[in-house]
Amino acid sequence: MQKRSDESRDEALVAYLDGELDSAERREIEAWIAADSGARDRIAALAASGVLVRNAFDDVLGEPVPQRLIDAARGIATPFSASAGASAAQNAEPDARILPFRLRSGGARAPRTGSLWRWPIAVPAAAALAGMLVGGGVGYYGGGGGAGDSAGRQQAIETAANNAWLDNAAADYKLLVSTGSNALLDVPATGDPHEALQKISQVVPQEVRLPDLKPWGLNFRGARLIALEGRPAAQLIYTTDNKAIGPLALIIGPSKQTELQPTFGQRQDLNLLYWRHQGRAYVLVGQTDIGYLWGIANDVAWQLDAI
Amino acid sequence: MSIGREYAGSPVRAPERGGTVSERFSNQLIALLPRLRRFARGLTGSMAEADDLVQAACERALAREHQFQEGTRFDSWMFRIAQTIWIDQIRARDVRREDGDIAEERLGSDEPVRRVEARLALDEVRHAVDRLPPDQRMTLMLVTVEGLSYKEAAEVACVPVGTIMSRLARARAALQLKLEAGAGIRRSRNDAEAQ
Repeated sequence: MQKRSDESRDEALVAYLDGELDSAERREIEAWIAADSGARDRIAALAASGVLVRNAFDDVLGEPVPQRLIDAARGIATPFSASAGASAAQNAEPDARILPFRLRSGGARAPRTGSLWRWPIAVPAAAALAGMLVGGGVGYYGGGGGAGDSAGRQQAIETAANNAWLDNAAADYKLLVSTGSNALLDVPATGDPHEALQKISQVVPQEVRLPDLKPWGLNFRGARLIALEGRPAAQLIYTTDNKAIGPLALIIGPSKQTELQPTFGQRQDLNLLYWRHQGRAYVLVGQTDIGYLWGIANDVAWQLDAI
Repeated sequence: MSIGREYAGSPVRAPERGGTVSERFSNQLIALLPRLRRFARGLTGSMAEADDLVQAACERALAREHQFQEGTRFDSWMFRIAQTIWIDQIRARDVRREDGDIAEERLGSDEPVRRVEARLALDEVRHAVDRLPPDQRMTLMLVTVEGLSYKEAAEVACVPVGTIMSRLARARAALQLKLEAGAGIRRSRNDAEAQ
């Protein structure tokens, strides 16, 4: 093969890697690579750098989209931000409360009803003090919490980690709801909802089961694959005509974090109920009234053995 | 019922042109936001600047919604808007981020020595991309990261396909050199620490 200049060589190899050559050109490159060890080394290096570049920017896709950008996309005028994290700091919600799940007795299924008075939603104030304070002064993008001792630092780290995954859960929900369509669903629930679950389960590390929430008037619409705690997770989407409940997302993903009792949190106008159990993290997200959210969480936990 | 129908709101007003933004158009835009942010991050080198760029691109897109041709790629159209704004910005600021400019500042700064290895590698790659000339950086983001074809990238950048090919090859080669150099510096540092 004719000797190529370095630039011409790289152009040909990169175009080959990018699938931009026709079949005759591809054969020519393949013959060249087969005969020239230098070309083989070069294409391997170029291929590796391409993978690195893609990976280096992929984490942006998993970050929550700032509300100001969603507003901008909807034509709502918002000021520009001078520094990163300003919007996230505004979103921080210094409120989280740990809630005890209702204990099942004799394997009986938790009653399903929309009657709020049946649910133990009187959240004890002491629980807020005893529990993890989510969003307490540590923004999602912000750095450390300034704790002086190691215990304080550890708490700051845990708090920041909690903020990150809850911010992501809330942002994923907002992104989905803002579109108002099924366009973002990776696996729409067409016909057999379990088919959608099978597809999602092939991607996430653990099998995902689908809670039946029809008694709450919630219909499964489909699933998205998202990142939770840096690992693939399933976001199950339910909708209902009941405006007191509204669209609801249940996120189920693997977790290496310690067990966490059901905890209530807020992000702007969203309510979140989250917990970790036996290597899985669960987050219910919606504008749903907390009473309904609590009842639904009980039901989910009962069906999935998630408590 | 479609997801969030009650919450998606009515058509909203775009202040720039005084018209009504179609909900469908806004939804397309919102769905594209994560990729727009990634693209903008690659161009600007910082997340704060990237978000400002995305916001400006959204506003311009809404003002020019009527110019978008149905049946063409919406993402390419938005990338073109974003890159046009970005080029205007760097011209206005007279910023010359030619090879080495910012790299030297960063290499000379007190970067933490003990970082998680994987994190360091990705940071190095991002810094290496930041140090590329703007036209190469943009081409790399469009093709290698966003997956546009050469023809599509050429349309976004308003240059011939051959220019895309050569920019891309130069970008990939330069990147390769920078990453090798970074690995060399790291090895030297580790060796020095070990002694």
